Amino acid sequence: MTAPRRRIPVKPGYFTVPDDPATPPKLLGSRCDVCGEHYFPRRKTCARAECLSDRTTDVEMGPRGTLWSYTFVHFPLFGSSRLEHIGYGVGQVDLPEGPRVQLPLAGKQEDFHVGMELEAELDALREDGDTAVVMCRFRPVGAAR
Amino acid sequence: MRNVAVLGVGMHRFGTWPDRSNGDMSLEAGQAALRDAGLSFRDVQAAFVGHIFAPVMSGVRVMKEFGLTGIPIQRIENASATGSAAFREACWAVESGRYDCVMVLGFDKMTAMIQESSANTDPANLEDAILPAAFFALWATRRIHERGMKPEHLAKIAAKNWNNGALNPMSQRRPGERVTWEKVLGSSMVAWPLTKMMSCPIGDGAACAVVGRPELARKKNPGRPVVRVTASHLGSEIYAPGHLFVGPVVGPARMTVDGAKSVYEQAGVGPKDLDLVQVHDAFAIEELEYYELLGLCAPGEAEAAIDRGDFELGGRVAVSTDGGLIARGHPGGPTGLAQIWETTLQLRGEAGKRQRENARVGLCHMMGGGSVCVIHILQRD
Repeated sequence: MTAPRRRIPVKPGYFTVPDDPATPPKLLGSRCDVCGEHYFPRRKTCARAECLSDRTTDVEMGPRGTLWSYTFVHFPLFGSSRLEHIGYGVGQVDLPEGPRVQLPLAGKQEDFHVGMELEAELDALREDGDTAVVMCRFRPVGAAR
Repeated sequence: MRNVAVLGVGMHRFGTWPDRSNGDMSLEAGQAALRDAGLSFRDVQAAFVGHIFAPVMSGVRVMKEFGLTGIPIQRIENASATGSAAFREACWAVESGRYDCVMVLGFDKMTAMIQESSANTDPANLEDAILPAAFFALWATRRIHERGMKPEHLAKIAAKNWNNGALNPMSQRRPGERVTWEKVLGSSMVAWPLTKMMSCPIGDGAACAVVGRPELARKKNPGRPVVRVTASHLGSEIYAPGHLFVGPVVGPARMTVDGAKSVYEQAGVGPKDLDLVQVHDAFAIEELEYYELLGLCAPGEAEAAIDRGDFELGGRVAVSTDGGLIARGHPGGPTGLAQIWETTLQLRGEAGKRQRENARVGLCHMMGGGSVCVIHILQRD
């Protein structure tokens, strides 16, 4: 099977889909122009009660982060048609810019431990002709693909 | 809150009821509450109705089962905290002097909702692809990392709740024999370390409370203890670094801490005064965390307290006395009102085999979508 030529995000507005499959995706967020707080996903106002500014700038965050917590789910990933997703890891990942995000993890339960470094990657939920519907997930740095 | 009593409570047992409509279940729960209050629907001056999943105007339609009397009817929705939020609005409607007698009704058929949503194959959001249990499992993994919690502590909480549910005629899960923590731990894995028996079921049901002036309680049921609502709190999230915006979230721990502080101040009681507590135990890890966040034990001491049996029916403070969400069930709209039903019966001394001895003060806590927190304190006069 040849790799699909085109990749589209399962939901637009959350992560980049680089043209080069070897380039990791980045998460799409916002930075408050007044206090500098970073957010995921994008937002138009600062959420801090002390700030509440309505001036934010779009930023790209990641692709690396630190694992805050994890689990392994023993049910199929909703919306996926792939056997690999019949069970899947989920992590809360702290991005260096500040935000904590919850996303699927690549690997088995024993591959994960709190505090480890991860990198974002795109993973196909399903393929339709030459198009793959992709989501963003994290993989332990150094783990085989 | 100084002038509000629970006049009556009623329930339709939670469970899977394919042949009963929301109207059928609601009428049964509502008429039971009115009978319990010694009132008729003619006495009801306003109604607050809570449902999550049923279509627009379902609350008003369901209320027609009781009769068309022209009263104001208002739907309230706040995810899992729907019934609790509706109860709060009814209590304030009485406390403010607007009404003497208000009905609060909650209903839902979560089984029908699950069938409809599973027909939709694409996740509507980035994280809708992930099973909700996963987000609570992440909380449990972090607790293992920080405090050395073991999965058996979660299993002990769930076993307690299953066994309490066995004593409650309105509980969805009523095991025929005593459930051991080993059995809970050995049930199928949902999202590590949470097993199926540590998770609440989906279900259908209805619950109702009639609230009003304490004088009405004394007049209609002379000699019966009056159960008053002495504190009510509804709060939402305060932003802090690390906040999660996407997907079903557990919510900042601070929401429960702030809510508890508020209700203890309002009622003039502390956590040591509580005889019984109901919490949002959709998953066992939640109940463990709420022990500490509500001040039932000190931070870091939940595991030791569980091992001592502090939260059993006969323990220091009984938690999830009716089985909690894990056993009694969690259909959605009526869940928070089931907590009021249980606490009211306990404070009157009418809880049968699961009666907490000499119960005088009870607390009911619910989370909605990890984004709102509702807490009430009920006290026997």
